[in-house]
Amino acid sequence: MDILIYGTINSMALALMALGFALVYGISRIPNFAHGALYVISGFVTWGFVRALGVNYLLSVFLTMIIIGVVGALIYRFILIRVRGMAISEIIASYAIGLAILEGLRWGGFKGMTYTLPVFVEGSVDIAEIPVDFHRLVVVGIGVAVVAFLWLFTHHTRIGLALRGMAQDERAALMLGIDSDLMAVVAMALGSMLAGLAAILLLPLGNIVVEAGYNVLILAIAVCIVGGLGSWMGAVLAAFLIGFAQILTVTYLGSHYQMVVALLAIIFTLILRPSGLFGQQKELEERV
Amino acid sequence: MLEATGLMVFYENMLALNNVSISCENNQIVGVFGANSAGKSTLMYTLSGIMEDIKKKEDMAGRERITVLGAIKYLGKDIMGLKPSQRARQGIILCPERRRIFPESTVLENLRIGGYLASPPQKKESLEYVFRIFPALEKIKKRVGGFLSGGEQQMLAIGRALMAQPRLLLLDEPLLGLSPLIQVLLVRSVKEIRDERGVSIIVTEQYARPVLPIVDYAFILENGANTGGAIGQP
Repeated sequence: MDILIYGTINSMALALMALGFALVYGISRIPNFAHGALYVISGFVTWGFVRALGVNYLLSVFLTMIIIGVVGALIYRFILIRVRGMAISEIIASYAIGLAILEGLRWGGFKGMTYTLPVFVEGSVDIAEIPVDFHRLVVVGIGVAVVAFLWLFTHHTRIGLALRGMAQDERAALMLGIDSDLMAVVAMALGSMLAGLAAILLLPLGNIVVEAGYNVLILAIAVCIVGGLGSWMGAVLAAFLIGFAQILTVTYLGSHYQMVVALLAIIFTLILRPSGLFGQQKELEERV
Repeated sequence: MLEATGLMVFYENMLALNNVSISCENNQIVGVFGANSAGKSTLMYTLSGIMEDIKKKEDMAGRERITVLGAIKYLGKDIMGLKPSQRARQGIILCPERRRIFPESTVLENLRIGGYLASPPQKKESLEYVFRIFPALEKIKKRVGGFLSGGEQQMLAIGRALMAQPRLLLLDEPLLGLSPLIQVLLVRSVKEIRDERGVSIIVTEQYARPVLPIVDYAFILENGANTGGAIGQP
């Protein structure tokens, strides 16, 4: 039973980490290797508002989301736009940005145990005799809400539909008057906001450390590769697959194997089904 | 309405369009006929601005050097160098060769993506119009774009372009690979669109015969050049 409960929570956390990455890749085909750095910055920005400036927690969450969205948009507008379409350069550029941010933070002295965020709701509740704290339930709730919001956004709004059009065929979208650079900026801003949201939700469960940036990046990439790069629903399902696999390893093998699971998942997916669980795009193309 | 003069397009040193001039008046259907590799699609890409985007991407990746020369006047203004999205905003909409349907979206979603530039009332009105001229689409509106037949895809592609509120519709090989029966149906719809929506249309084809009855004026491209052979009066 505890496997079920903690598996679900862990899976939702993974999904939150990965959605931003999946969204940006799905729309602009840019693998945003600065994703982990954006995640960590959001943690420190929120910390700055809450602990250093003493702003109300909800307000600082709101402000952080806006700031990180703008940061993401600026990264695209001034740096990534120049290397768009060249896969290797995209990876190098975005990874360099991520490294610069993370190591810059480390150099600036943001390390140690002093950086923590408050949880949303204190206390815990027993579900089937297993104690679960309220904050983890909030994580699951907001995770579900985010997935639902993304689905509605991409199926029923003008911008969301345009984003999907661009994800499928950029040139056809151009012909219909959809500006691809504008859409990529929007995608990058949304993806960064999702990274920020994940950070705000997940960081209160531990300390804010710079290393989290690298772990989040690897987990996000693992989830996206297993789910099929560019497929958001695939990413959510893959998050559950890896999430439960991780909890099972923790229970039966030991917690230090947790990261190995994600990396093994990448290797096995690439061997068995390189397009991922939901890489249907190729199949469709062959049929037409 | 549209007047392009002296268009030259080079891919590196290969001449794809050689001094091509074309004009299209209000409410006219203009045909462009030519064999494979005559430069029809290049012409369409140049008029709609997609060539600017291709050029930008090639430049950035350091691949082929593309040069575009000449002048394109649309509604009295020079639009050379405008981005494709800006040209689309002014009403130049390209319905591309091989249709380029969004394969993972349903028919209805394809049409709604097409309505990106339209206001909500325009979108509603255009959607009704598309379903009226292509009733076949309404029956399959929940089906995914990738699973449509060629004829259905072409109807969807034209419908999607109509959703973008065109004033000048560029149809690139709309009859490619379709059965004669569907060809006749599509040609009739194209004429209807012109008559009922007041849209000017430039249509390219390899086989002139099915399109000939509806064009007001047509000319022939050969090896990227306007042969001077023309049908009808400009």
